Amino acid sequence: MRASLWMRLLPPVLGLGLLWLVWFVATLKGGPFPTPGQTWQAAVQLFSDPFYRNGPNDQGIGWNVLNSLQRVGLGFGLAALVGIPLGFVIGRFEFASRMLSPLISLLKPVSPLAWLPIGLLVFKSANPAAIWTIFICSIWPMVVNTAVGVQRVPRDYLNVARVLRLSEWKLVTRILFPAVLPYLLTGVRLSVGTAWLVIVAAEMLTGGVGIGFWVWDEWNNLNVRHILIAIFVIGLVGLLLEAALMALARRFSFDD
Amino acid sequence: MSAERRKLLATGAALGGLSALPGGGAYAAGSDKPEKEEVRIGFIPLTDCASVVMAAALGFDRKHGIKIVPTKEASWAGVRDKLVNGELDLAHVLYGLVYGVHLGVAGPKKDMAVLMTLNNNGQAITLSKKLAEAGAVDAASLTRAMKKEQRDYTFAQTFPTGTHAMWLYYWLAAAGVNPMKDAKVITVPPPQMVANMRVGNMDGFCVGEPWNHRAIIDGIGITAATTQDIWKDHPEKVLGTTGDFVKKYPNTARAVIMAVLEAGRWIDASLSNKQKMAETIADKAYVNTSVDAINQRILGRYQNGLGRTWDDPNYMKFFNDGQVNFPWLSDGMWFLTQHKRWGLIKEHPDYLGVARQVNQIELYKQAAAALGVSVPKETMRSAKFFDGVVWDGKEPAKYADAFKVRA
Repeated sequence: MRASLWMRLLPPVLGLGLLWLVWFVATLKGGPFPTPGQTWQAAVQLFSDPFYRNGPNDQGIGWNVLNSLQRVGLGFGLAALVGIPLGFVIGRFEFASRMLSPLISLLKPVSPLAWLPIGLLVFKSANPAAIWTIFICSIWPMVVNTAVGVQRVPRDYLNVARVLRLSEWKLVTRILFPAVLPYLLTGVRLSVGTAWLVIVAAEMLTGGVGIGFWVWDEWNNLNVRHILIAIFVIGLVGLLLEAALMALARRFSFDD
Repeated sequence: MSAERRKLLATGAALGGLSALPGGGAYAAGSDKPEKEEVRIGFIPLTDCASVVMAAALGFDRKHGIKIVPTKEASWAGVRDKLVNGELDLAHVLYGLVYGVHLGVAGPKKDMAVLMTLNNNGQAITLSKKLAEAGAVDAASLTRAMKKEQRDYTFAQTFPTGTHAMWLYYWLAAAGVNPMKDAKVITVPPPQMVANMRVGNMDGFCVGEPWNHRAIIDGIGITAATTQDIWKDHPEKVLGTTGDFVKKYPNTARAVIMAVLEAGRWIDASLSNKQKMAETIADKAYVNTSVDAINQRILGRYQNGLGRTWDDPNYMKFFNDGQVNFPWLSDGMWFLTQHKRWGLIKEHPDYLGVARQVNQIELYKQAAAALGVSVPKETMRSAKFFDGVVWDGKEPAKYADAFKVRA
């Protein structure tokens, strides 16, 4: 038992240690890039009071992260509301799939920074524009994965439904949905990752309270220590979001 | 009624009548009370946002019945968009940008208003250390270096229609370099200018303080020219808003002018005030930098990064007895002439007409009178640029077309 715990912890710790070592050696000579020690000191100071409020332009890092998460929640929620049913429709009806697939393939690779000006034009305000950008960028994994999941449902299940003469509603809720769930959750995981990525970029352009604008502000001060800390924070929050969704997926999967 | 009682009543009535006059109380029977109490004023983290920030920090806004909420913005394009869509009521903004939006130059078109000029001077043109080591330390030597070593020279400014672009173009053109044809000029945010210069991707930029001083502190650039050397006491940032805001909330606009005017007066009043101002705006909520990057140059102590230090009498001024803040028509018109010169507008606009629409002289005069600030009698002022050309606001079309180097 202990051996396996050791084997689970040692490799990631070694990996992080290696990163730290490379960073330390690279900054030994000095220069504009901060050393791990300096960054750690700055981090301690930053996290000693993460929820202070000093006016609208200067708030603790906790508030910045929470504000960004709120926008992500809204954008991602809307994307799920629209994307998952759309994915079902595309997977279930061949005609819909043929109609929408080229459109999806066209819009999928567009960068969030290209969507943002359109959002600003239509919504005339920074916050809705940022949420729109998250929506339009994070919807695609959910649509595509759900559609694939629906298409992959074994023919046998659908035959059983036809034999039992189940209504469309019963078919969707009792057969399709549980079978599609693993694919759907993969799509959701990818979407959350995209949404979190997009919000940081969008906030750099629109301003306000958020982790993205905080990075931009520290960039404006050429405070590289804070930018590195922000990278860790952003990565950590993204990791936690994904871990939460994976726990959810395990709860609802039928593998065990 | 007894004689005493009658006298008392009469005095009471007289006093009551007096309080209804403008001088006697803050708001004459509610007629110039600000319509809107909370005003959101956007700013970019530069030294010259100081008068807006200090107006809120020192309580001058409260004194005139408003509450200024300074909100830090990410970029000039962001400020422009938020002014146009109303998310910001007013902003600390580049003079040329306001006129650009008014005419719809490469962007949305909306009727804008300039309430007052916020500051004169205090910007600069920085050249890279590499160029300086090759001998390029001013306009003439830069031209020589550019002729000697033929390659793509990259310069940066803050906004295509903005002030820094115009200073840079004017300075390059006066040395015989056509910024449109002979060099590559890009619009990037200040930290990117400094980061690019550090790795050798940027030959020069024109930007506001504290960035030029920071380039010197970091040892990556030198100050080739200050903008006050190009045009002594030039207008720089303005308190800008939309025409709609001024029409809908004239009392609020006047109150903001008064608050910011008092803040500017306070800043220029003494060295210790300037030091306090530097300490306040260096804070994270505002410019977010060290105090040393700010307080040298606002006191006029300049270094050029090559060992020369001097005391500049034309440092950044926020008040200068009201000379800074008056919305001179000739100032706004100058930017229009330069927009025409560089092909940003295709036809000659009605220079005087546009300036009269945009610059809110009447509103400013009322605000200044209420504070006892002297107001010039003229609406145009004359200036001689460093290349000897005089701009006095007369015959703008001829002035714009007379330049040898243009788009």
